[in-house]
Amino acid sequence: MIRTEELLLNVGPQHPSTHGVFRIIVKLDGEVITEATPVMGYLHRGTEKLAENLTYTQIIPYTDRMDYVAAMTNNYVICNAVETLMGLEIPERAQYLRLIVMELQRIASHMLWWGTYLLDIGAMSPFLFAFRDREMIINMFNELCGARLTYNYMRIGGVKWDAPDGWIDKVRDYVKYMKEKLNQYHDLVTGNEIFLARIKGIGAYDGKTAIEYGLSGANLRGSGVQWDLRKNQPYCIYDRFEFDVPVGKNGDCFDRYNVRMEEIRQSLRILEQAVEQVPEGETMGKVPRVLRVPEGEAYSRIESPRGEIGCYIVSRGKDKPFRLKFRRPSFVNLQILPKLLVGENMTNLITILGGIDIVVGEVDC
Amino acid sequence: MESLLQETLSLKTFAFFLLIGVTTLAIVLGFVTYAIYFERKVIGWMQFRIGPNRVGPLGLLQSVADVTKLLMKEDTIPNEADRTLFKLAPVIVYVPAFSVLATFPFTETLYLADLNIGLLYYIAISGISTLGIVVGGWASNNKYSLLGGMRSAAQMISYEVPLVTSVVGVILLTGSLNLHDIVTNQGDNIWEWNLFPQIIGFIVFTIAAISELNRTPFDLPEAESELVAGYHVEYSGFRFAFFMLAEYVYVFAIASLATILFLGGWYPPLAMLDFIPGIVWFLLKFTAIVFFLFWIRATLPRIRVDQLMGLGWRVLLPLALFNIFLTAIVEFVLR
Amino acid sequence: MKGIVKGLGVTLKSMVEKKITYAYPDVPLEMPDRFRGIQHFDPEKCIVCNQCARICPTDCITLTGKPNPDPEKKGKVIDTYDINFEICILCDLCTEVCPTEAIVMTNNFELSTYSRDELFKNLQWLNDNNTNIRKENNSAMDKGGAK
Repeated sequence: MIRTEELLLNVGPQHPSTHGVFRIIVKLDGEVITEATPVMGYLHRGTEKLAENLTYTQIIPYTDRMDYVAAMTNNYVICNAVETLMGLEIPERAQYLRLIVMELQRIASHMLWWGTYLLDIGAMSPFLFAFRDREMIINMFNELCGARLTYNYMRIGGVKWDAPDGWIDKVRDYVKYMKEKLNQYHDLVTGNEIFLARIKGIGAYDGKTAIEYGLSGANLRGSGVQWDLRKNQPYCIYDRFEFDVPVGKNGDCFDRYNVRMEEIRQSLRILEQAVEQVPEGETMGKVPRVLRVPEGEAYSRIESPRGEIGCYIVSRGKDKPFRLKFRRPSFVNLQILPKLLVGENMTNLITILGGIDIVVGEVDC
Repeated sequence: MESLLQETLSLKTFAFFLLIGVTTLAIVLGFVTYAIYFERKVIGWMQFRIGPNRVGPLGLLQSVADVTKLLMKEDTIPNEADRTLFKLAPVIVYVPAFSVLATFPFTETLYLADLNIGLLYYIAISGISTLGIVVGGWASNNKYSLLGGMRSAAQMISYEVPLVTSVVGVILLTGSLNLHDIVTNQGDNIWEWNLFPQIIGFIVFTIAAISELNRTPFDLPEAESELVAGYHVEYSGFRFAFFMLAEYVYVFAIASLATILFLGGWYPPLAMLDFIPGIVWFLLKFTAIVFFLFWIRATLPRIRVDQLMGLGWRVLLPLALFNIFLTAIVEFVLR
Repeated sequence: MKGIVKGLGVTLKSMVEKKITYAYPDVPLEMPDRFRGIQHFDPEKCIVCNQCARICPTDCITLTGKPNPDPEKKGKVIDTYDINFEICILCDLCTEVCPTEAIVMTNNFELSTYSRDELFKNLQWLNDNNTNIRKENNSAMDKGGAK
């Protein structure tokens, strides 16, 4: 008899494919995972607690640092929550600018995901393809609000800057450019037989499981559930645009991949319509000098690139929140990971983890 | 050379052999230096980058700088490692990589040893390197490197088989294991090369060879996004350099072998072009194969370990066997 | 095989496409005007209203004022003004609330040093940091609109 024992392998916190400082302790039988325990908190900064001592304007730069890949949507969710509570009126132009930057952000975020996911799977060129095109979005954001990653662009009641001259045209050109490049992406990767063999049928779950685990975003839609807050519960001005919500069928990594790639196309569609409609006007609504949010509670939820991001505010009438809670999609989506990993090959760990699309800044918050 | 090898070993002949050995080593090192440079440039261009351009003119000294850095690094050995084996592993990997070069005929006259079992020698010796990788992975006493070492053992053994069977067709056509004879049996024209009669063999050979080289898409033993660096995760400095060196020397070896076996060695693609020296043709074909390897690396994702095994045993091996039968039958009918 | 060949075609074609590498640091990066870089501070304009220190989300600004040396004038003048760039997140809120544009953003962004202590910048340093000052400092918001 050969004596065999399980191998306890510590993946992370410093591992190239955990996208930051995420850690999974896996028990391996050969190369097959028998148990996986995610360990998180390496990037915990206590944003929610810090927020209790900050005014609402001051919280906005902190939200940039939660999901640092999609800071615009984070900006929006806190602004939207406060605005709901105060009953503020947002000027049209500000609404449009918000929508444009959020959709651009979704594209940028999905492209970053695409690049790094392929890098995890072992192809290195897609990463640079994605970054070449993402860089253009980042540069546009840089022109708009003066930062490349932590935008701090939205304010309670509007946006900080109006779009500079010619910026809208740049977005228009970019949409055209990106539509073409998206086909290149598909040529480079999507048909690749090795790639398909790597992700088809991996990490599959059905829609019911997805809902039970509280998944959202592409992780939910990949399993066939038609749920996109932009459609089902329109916020901002999404109800004015025509777009489809792509859904998958089998709920495996390949469906999630397809959903995300298709979402880029849909975002481009929204942008195409939006840039034609941007009205002139104010970008900042009528906001009192000191933001005293009336007593009460508000929950605002929107569709971030990673899923449903929510912000729950309890106000006691001060200029600071009494309690602030973020529902971070990365964190919630991660719950299904241990279930998906059991019985999988060590290589699939990377495929599945990458397919969930986490940002550790958001997981740990 | 031929006559020298037949003589009894004297101090004079030994010194001569040593000189040739050192010269070959220098040439190979030069190749490795610029293969790495070339690889980084090619992959850079494919990714809209410039590639190395800081050290020396056009970055030509980049690899030199890298190797110098590796040489100056502290030589670390993990506390719990098996020290003897840990030190031995890079040597086991590198020595066979270098020894296989002895039998390659680069042109009609330029070769080191005209071994009549040249092909067998290559296959037998190159198999030893796997041992080095397994030993290195095991001796590091690191779980990642152990997994990498195990994968590499499994992979190399499974791909050695199709690799060997794929060249049997060539051997049947030639009736010799001598690499020199294999080339001379091909002709001055592209249709006389083994490439076309042995197209199945060539495809199987290419795939199996990439796998033997542990290069993308078969770079599972060192899969950086899963196993961090695989079997050489604990190696640093010069020992690490040896692993890298061996890898690139094998690129040299496999590219040469493919040129010799399938692409007609030093022969020009058309008989009328034979005023160009054979070594140029050899180098052109050789470079084309090396470029192909880098091109593949810039494009493809990594295959999964179980799919790799499936591909090796279920697709490549039957194909290679089929190729042997086909070649044998055709040869039999034609004669 | 078709997909693989397609992919190979894409990479081969991209070999001749335009390179996107920035020549930084050989060629300095041009940032757009709105770029939020290291602040420039003008002590002449400062009225010691403390708004920047209060709005700062990370509390990286410390300042002290002193009575105006000119006895005819009222109010305070700035005495010390320090920004701790270890924790400053360049969020732009200080320049947003400043009523006199005494503190403004510049397009300079190179802050790397060998010691953390050097990241503690004082009034003199911030005043000397007077290149590439942002032209457009008034955002769409009116001053002190949101605090």
